[in-house]
Amino acid sequence: MMGFPPGTRSHPPNLQIPSRNLSPRPTTRPRLAAVVTEYRKFSHAQHVVDRFLFGYGWEGRHHKPEADVVALYVDQRPASDLSRSRAAEFPQMRLAPTIADALTDGGRTLNVDGILLIGEHGTYPRNEKGQTLYPRYEFFTQIIDVFRKSGRSVPIFNDKHLSWSWDHAREMVATSRALGFPLMAGSSLPVTRRLPAIDFPYNESPTEVMAIGYGAVDSYDFHVLETIQCMVERRHGGETGVAAVQAIRGDDVWKRMSAGSWQAGGWDSRLFSACLCRSIQLGSARSGYSDIYPSDADVRKLVKTPVAYRIEYRDGLKATMLLLNGLVSDMTFAARLKGSKEILSCLMYLPHRDVCNFFSPLAHQAETMFLTGRSPRPLERTLLTTGLTAAGVESLWQGQKRIETPHLAVAYRVGDESTFWRT
Amino acid sequence: MVSRREFLATSGSAIALAGLSPAALAAGAAKPKRIALVSTVWFYQSHTQHIGDRFLVGYPQEGHWHRPNMQIVSAYVDQKPAGDLSGERARSFGFTVYPTIAQALRRGGDKLAVDAVLIVGEHGDYPHNAKGQILYPRYEFFKQCVEVFERDARAVPVYNDKHLSYSFRKASEMVADSKRLKFPMLAGSSLPVTWRLPELELPLECEIDEALMVGVGSSDPMDYHALEAMQCMVERRRGGETGIKSVQLIEGPAVWQAGEQGRYSKCLLEAALSRSDKILGKTTEDARPQDLVGSGVLPKIVPQPAAYFIERRDGTRTTLLMLNGAVADYTFACRLKGSTDVLSTQFFLTPTPNVTYSASLGSKIEEMFATGVAPYPVERTQIVCGILESCLDSKVAGHSRLETPHLDVTYRAPAQSQFCRE
Repeated sequence: MMGFPPGTRSHPPNLQIPSRNLSPRPTTRPRLAAVVTEYRKFSHAQHVVDRFLFGYGWEGRHHKPEADVVALYVDQRPASDLSRSRAAEFPQMRLAPTIADALTDGGRTLNVDGILLIGEHGTYPRNEKGQTLYPRYEFFTQIIDVFRKSGRSVPIFNDKHLSWSWDHAREMVATSRALGFPLMAGSSLPVTRRLPAIDFPYNESPTEVMAIGYGAVDSYDFHVLETIQCMVERRHGGETGVAAVQAIRGDDVWKRMSAGSWQAGGWDSRLFSACLCRSIQLGSARSGYSDIYPSDADVRKLVKTPVAYRIEYRDGLKATMLLLNGLVSDMTFAARLKGSKEILSCLMYLPHRDVCNFFSPLAHQAETMFLTGRSPRPLERTLLTTGLTAAGVESLWQGQKRIETPHLAVAYRVGDESTFWRT
Repeated sequence: MVSRREFLATSGSAIALAGLSPAALAAGAAKPKRIALVSTVWFYQSHTQHIGDRFLVGYPQEGHWHRPNMQIVSAYVDQKPAGDLSGERARSFGFTVYPTIAQALRRGGDKLAVDAVLIVGEHGDYPHNAKGQILYPRYEFFKQCVEVFERDARAVPVYNDKHLSYSFRKASEMVADSKRLKFPMLAGSSLPVTWRLPELELPLECEIDEALMVGVGSSDPMDYHALEAMQCMVERRRGGETGIKSVQLIEGPAVWQAGEQGRYSKCLLEAALSRSDKILGKTTEDARPQDLVGSGVLPKIVPQPAAYFIERRDGTRTTLLMLNGAVADYTFACRLKGSTDVLSTQFFLTPTPNVTYSASLGSKIEEMFATGVAPYPVERTQIVCGILESCLDSKVAGHSRLETPHLDVTYRAPAQSQFCRE
């Protein structure tokens, strides 16, 4: 595999493309359509689609994906839009006026081998619960219309959670199963580098876990929830689903921090400490001190609006997700294992600075799906984390009430192979 | 300003309850080691603040907040510009800043009264020489410590931050002093001990065909870091370090021509740059990933490249490329003999202001202070001092190749990996 020179088409027209669904590794390069909300510097679409266009550093070389983005649908074009300049730089990528047009190459039936659906960023309305109504489901539905009309389906990568709506997400998953096409979803958190480079020990039993992150509800909470889920899904018995969720915001979080245990309404303070000690972007409340363990008073001083999600899994596992803006600017995980006094902990490292290479292992997984017809990550993980995100928002909306979540009885198992970036 | 009592009441108690490591608890019974800190300058985000604070407020280690069973009991600070923190730290932690190094080591008495010395001679207003080196007085500080050791007939472990001196002769004298007076000595920076992305350690006794390091920043502070990072990798080769046969530093377009001529491997360069998480050039405009080597863009975005060619006495070819404008991190690649595979990694300098890489270094310093054994040989730092000085000699001598028979420093790498991976 070597990259084709920019400015040339990689495929002659009218090439016969085998179905992606059941075929082994294709003999020709898959042709992809990208369906995105907006394509500007730092949008998810830019990070993901750019990796298919330019390639990226991977395992000690510059990797050029064995797939070509041939069509791009962009829903919004802000002043900083890059879609036109990218299309000019990569003439094999055609700007399409509609989603159907992108998928059919302007014809009547599906004419691509895979789809990148990236519905993050852009200006979209919010509902009364504060959720941004990114049109992932709507994009997905238009894609499915083309699949149905064409009598053929191809793999879809859906960036981040499936939708702000649990009902949408469930339908998207059901549709992928009914039509028999691979659907991969989620973000970089499960696959980015970890410091240290550890995985949750397969088939062990955690009693309580925690992840601490930053950012906003209905946005970065998903990433932190995914951090928890990609670890605990490896536990003994596999994933069983979630029985209840309670979200807390504001001073009540501090009362729970002081409680000292899950049973007392808070969390195991050793998990909290382990997460902070894995942070490499820990805030300091003390002038002149660049890296100092914060006292409880420091934590309260640094964080204006803390958020906690308390998650009760159906098999008894307890998890706490914290968003602590001002205290940390990274995402960490800690777990207490049954029968062990040691706390397992790590940082999910997101190498920021313009190129944002944590998108590389995500793009690589998407490429793997397009080449093999199989998603390298469980769809149920994203289904469950989509539901957890929505449940957290719902709990806040209902006055921080504990919500029973019988609909989140999402059970699945993963293999023991680690899939995060360590090469 | 917080008092020491308030400070410990708030930060210390939280640490004791939540973050104190089991090792620290176990060690709690032992009498704390007393440290004298000898510094050029102590301001926020200076090396002294980063390293000193590790011993004052502890540091993150393996998922715990570790507090060394050690106390800074005295300090000497050479310069106190606006922003000086030494007074506040002395008040908060109950130690004294003395007017001389000897007084700091003797704590105002007439005999050496500390168990270890921490010399941090980075930053501050000091002159440059014709080679562009900043004349930090590390040698002078060290010699004053040695004078106390000799007069008081007792020597204690010394950590010297970064390179020993701008001068190989002075560096060698410092190493000789430590051997003569039989005190443990550790030196160098965080690069060899920080996280690597991915975890890469060369097999001990491997045969290296060629190694290449990419660094950034100015000379001489930052090229030192890059040379030291490369050194901690190549010292693991068969036979250990054998010394340096010759060096040459070239700059400008000649660097690209040297690549075309095969003086360094472009394959290794691609591998090293593929490990960068901070790509510059057009990436700063629109965040695109880039094939910096394959696209041929390097000459356009790196106006002042420099290549440091370092030929080892056993024939091993090693090269440092300083590529300001291309990337903003430190990466390494090498090929082992008999293999077509290229091994590569990034030496991960964790973000400011925490710079937790200095915690990795702090743990090595603490280890030496506690055990009396340096976890890696000071000869590594000694030879890098010499490599850097000779490369800068080459630069001012018209970029000519210089034979370096004086750089006959030989040593063996520690068998155990020393970088952060837990």
